[in-house]
Amino acid sequence: MLKVRVIPILTFNGFGLVKTKQFGNPRMVGNPTQAAKVYNSRGVDELVFLDIFASSQNRKINLSLVKKVMDECFMPVSIGGGIKSIEDINDLLKIGADKVIIKSKALTNIDFIKEAVHYFGSQCISISVDAYKKKETYYIKHSNSYLIKLEDFIESMNDCQVGELLVNSIDQDGMMNGFDIELINRVDSLTTIPVVAIGGGGDLNHFKELFLQTKIKAVGAASIFHFTQYTPLDIKKTLLEINIPVRI
Amino acid sequence: MVAIIDYGMGNVASMEKALRFLKIESKITRDHSIIDESDAIILPGVGSFEQGMENLKNLQLIDLLNDQILNKKKKFLGVCLGMQLVMEKGFEPNECKGLGWIKGEVVKMTPENLSIPHLGWNNIEIKKDQVLFNDIESLDYYFIHSYKVVPENKESIVATVDYGQEITASMRFENIFTTQFHPEKSQDSGLKLLKNYLG
Repeated sequence: MLKVRVIPILTFNGFGLVKTKQFGNPRMVGNPTQAAKVYNSRGVDELVFLDIFASSQNRKINLSLVKKVMDECFMPVSIGGGIKSIEDINDLLKIGADKVIIKSKALTNIDFIKEAVHYFGSQCISISVDAYKKKETYYIKHSNSYLIKLEDFIESMNDCQVGELLVNSIDQDGMMNGFDIELINRVDSLTTIPVVAIGGGGDLNHFKELFLQTKIKAVGAASIFHFTQYTPLDIKKTLLEINIPVRI
Repeated sequence: MVAIIDYGMGNVASMEKALRFLKIESKITRDHSIIDESDAIILPGVGSFEQGMENLKNLQLIDLLNDQILNKKKKFLGVCLGMQLVMEKGFEPNECKGLGWIKGEVVKMTPENLSIPHLGWNNIEIKKDQVLFNDIESLDYYFIHSYKVVPENKESIVATVDYGQEITASMRFENIFTTQFHPEKSQDSGLKLLKNYLG
């Protein structure tokens, strides 16, 4: 049986790990290679590593740092930040990334996403879906002034046949008061692509709620690992108590 | 020395890293003379079947690999796309001939009410060659694929995995061993399997 994945999300600013609240106020939380080493020794299911400022600062991801992180990992790793070309993807795959995560480019150039899927295969291309709610409607966050509705964006990603959707609730990011279950179920109802729920997991009960109230098979979290004593294993043991299949 | 075939289909670095960890000498290569000198050959890879075959063809690796595996009988490991390419035919995205070392096809998975790709950790069920899995505590392995291998002869199936239906997770036929899952990404369970087969 397929196990539910519990995925630590490491966001960094080009050199150090940072954690945001509602996508703002980045706070330094440590060293990326050290964190990767710890997560590898704990046998986590997967790691996500994101340079969250690469696109806005119009620079490339720091490949030598990413390579150092990869050297510590014997589990699947997804990497994202500032990906603009097939060559950028190739650079990350060459140093051992299993999946790349694309956001900005997916909002501005659908043809690039199609090309990437065609070239590398669906399984390689993950899309970050950063959504916020305004008057009962979900929109995708981006730097331009026009609004992109969640439904329209998911439909275009279905059309591109991407391999995975990392659904971030901006409203819940770093707040540690529970997942946006409505958002996750809305996305899940619009697609057959695997969904990773991110944003809001602050205590063990939040993870129970998520898997009891949705059908998704993966969750990502950051704050709970940075700011509490809980580990991915604690979350998995909690899920096992309610018969959610996990890999211990 | 183990030759890890570099044919532009990703993921070669992780395999090299896993073998380095196991202290098994390896080289990432597309060089014909290095491949010819190797003791064993790994065909890794992720991506589409058609692109994979096209890249092997463009690098003139097909005849060389046929000779190494079918005539010289070198130990072979095919992982993920590398497992799929040993079959006769694939359909990703178009119908396309494979290496044809094992009879059968690679077809799109169509599980009801389940996401595609089959993505994540799933436990395999061993059907034969138990010895390859000696000393391995957990049979959870990391899968990421949208197409499945359907061998004509079920005798070649080493292990299966349940994803809405029974799917071929691993095969062995003479000197050819393949896994749909990624041993190089499956931590202890994967590293031990690589050691058992190549070590």
